[in-house]
Amino acid sequence: MIELSDINIDLGEFHLRDIDLTINDGEYMVMLGPTGAGKTVIVECLVGIYRPATGSMRVDGVEITSLYPEERNIGYVPQDYALFPNMTVRQNVAYGLVARKLPRHEIDPKVQATMESLGVDHLHYRLPLNLSGGERQRVALGRALITQPRVLLLDEPLSALDENLRADLAAELLRIQRRVSGTFLHVCHSFEEAADVADRIAIMNDGRLVQVGSIAEVLAQPASLFVARFTRTRNFIEGTAQPSADGCRVTGPNGLELHSTHRAQGPVTAAVRPEEIEILNGVAASGPGVLRAKVAAVRAKPTYTEVSFEGSVPLVVHERTGRAGFHANCGDELCLRIPPDALKIFPAEESEPDGR
Amino acid sequence: MSGKLPERSPLLRRHAAVVTAVVYSAVVFLVLGACWLFASNVDQLFPGEQFIQSAAMDEWRPTDEHLHVFAGGFWRVGAFWRSVNLTVVTATITMLIAAAVGIPAAYALSRYKVPGRSIIDVLFSSVIVLPTASVGLCLVILMQHTPVLKELHLVYSLPGIVAVQLVVATAMGISAWKAAFDGVNERFEHVARSLGSGPWRAFRTVTLPCAKPGLIAGLILAWTRAAAEFGGVLIFCSTFAERPEASFSPMTRLLHLHQADPLAVSMWSQIEYGNVEYGTAIGFMLVFISAASVYAIHRLGGKTYVW
Repeated sequence: MIELSDINIDLGEFHLRDIDLTINDGEYMVMLGPTGAGKTVIVECLVGIYRPATGSMRVDGVEITSLYPEERNIGYVPQDYALFPNMTVRQNVAYGLVARKLPRHEIDPKVQATMESLGVDHLHYRLPLNLSGGERQRVALGRALITQPRVLLLDEPLSALDENLRADLAAELLRIQRRVSGTFLHVCHSFEEAADVADRIAIMNDGRLVQVGSIAEVLAQPASLFVARFTRTRNFIEGTAQPSADGCRVTGPNGLELHSTHRAQGPVTAAVRPEEIEILNGVAASGPGVLRAKVAAVRAKPTYTEVSFEGSVPLVVHERTGRAGFHANCGDELCLRIPPDALKIFPAEESEPDGR
Repeated sequence: MSGKLPERSPLLRRHAAVVTAVVYSAVVFLVLGACWLFASNVDQLFPGEQFIQSAAMDEWRPTDEHLHVFAGGFWRVGAFWRSVNLTVVTATITMLIAAAVGIPAAYALSRYKVPGRSIIDVLFSSVIVLPTASVGLCLVILMQHTPVLKELHLVYSLPGIVAVQLVVATAMGISAWKAAFDGVNERFEHVARSLGSGPWRAFRTVTLPCAKPGLIAGLILAWTRAAAEFGGVLIFCSTFAERPEASFSPMTRLLHLHQADPLAVSMWSQIEYGNVEYGTAIGFMLVFISAASVYAIHRLGGKTYVW
């Protein structure tokens, strides 16, 4: 179990503030946030490149904050993999065991087994320069995993790869993690990538940890407008909330009236994910949560259709492609329904247009 | 991540602190020396009545003997081979000292945020671009007039040649060695250490082999720069060829380093004496040495060029 408590780092213009994070054994944790949020700094702190100004880091209850990197037994795969260019693939993989001064007859079978399990055993005597992106990643993983580290830190492991390879290698990473029952901390800036692999995610912004939880938890209960935006919520409605029996009633611009199961009062920003808005084709409905809007644009995406509406508030709706009875053309006027439990309410003062 | 780097882990910080302390004490020493020199000689800025000019300048003339000894078959003359010997020996010693000082310094400059790095850069870079005669002059002032340093009696001595060469060759070498270390991904060492290597082993097994071509190129550059050094040596050490044999130590005579100048100085002095053919021959030797060293850099340095 990895415990970071109250970590503060001062980098001049940038500060890492009060990081408290626990990574359980065998957990695939993804830390994500926009560029400059401080994700890599935390990783480098765990590796031992930087020392936090305050706070402590513990691995299985053992304090590692003041240990040298070589005493921590933490695996590290940097963004560019940093394979040693002066060594063959085999020497790269064996490096950690040689550094631990294991006898040769123990090193050889371990290297062989590791390389076989990662499917790179045909590359023994190749130099890293001559490997493809995927091969490099697997060799770097093998080099880090062969010493059986307490935790493996992966700093943007997929960002150097092309789009098609990325999903495959994300699945591969998860498969490897499950097989070795390792504790992984994976850093990335894409929510989609995190959703592919994570048991839990930790979202960072501007040097702070803003939310930790499973993907489902974060989607259901974003801790702030920032998290809502970061997890691809597209619709934000400014309004005023008044408590009601089962939650609150939000009065938006142009007399728009919406219901939410969340309790709130006063000026608020209401947020709703594009896939949670229902398009009511051919139904003339009315009442709270239902509004009429004109289709401004329709874009077909691989698995869904993105429909942009203009009306009392501009909205973006994702509708599963091929749903029976669904059709939308530019200029159509349609009824939309925002379910009360889909409408998340945030205090309005948070609504400054922060960068995502 | 932009901005100032945060505190590094304790060991790295200690390295950086040592390097910073050494560099700064050198700078402070030089600055204080210069201040003291200026303050103690300020009256010389306002000369009394007239400048002093030596009458001896007009007395020296090349003799027939000089001309006949050297005009043909210079390779049969012992002084020529002593010159070659002296050049090779001093340049090699210089290169070794420059490497011992410069490679760790270049590593530190490449890896650590040494405060006031721009000052150090200005110092080293200006030595590269300055006329070396002025470097020699600065050294004369420093070594002749600064307490402690003047006790070394380096001025006009054979070790003085190494002292001058060292200044220019280290400056040249450091720029090449720093470029070599800059070219090696810093993360290699981080990964090596995360895999259980101590800092020295990480450096020795990963960074050093990766930087090797550039480091060797820097060694050759430093050697060549030392061997080709002319102006500084002339000002700092004058010439040795005309000094009486008895003024050289027995060890120097045993090593055949006596009554000889480095090739570059020798070339100039022979032409001055009127031995134009001899001077030209030495000039060709120097061109050959430079060309060979550049070729060697390309061969040994592989793809890692330093310019």
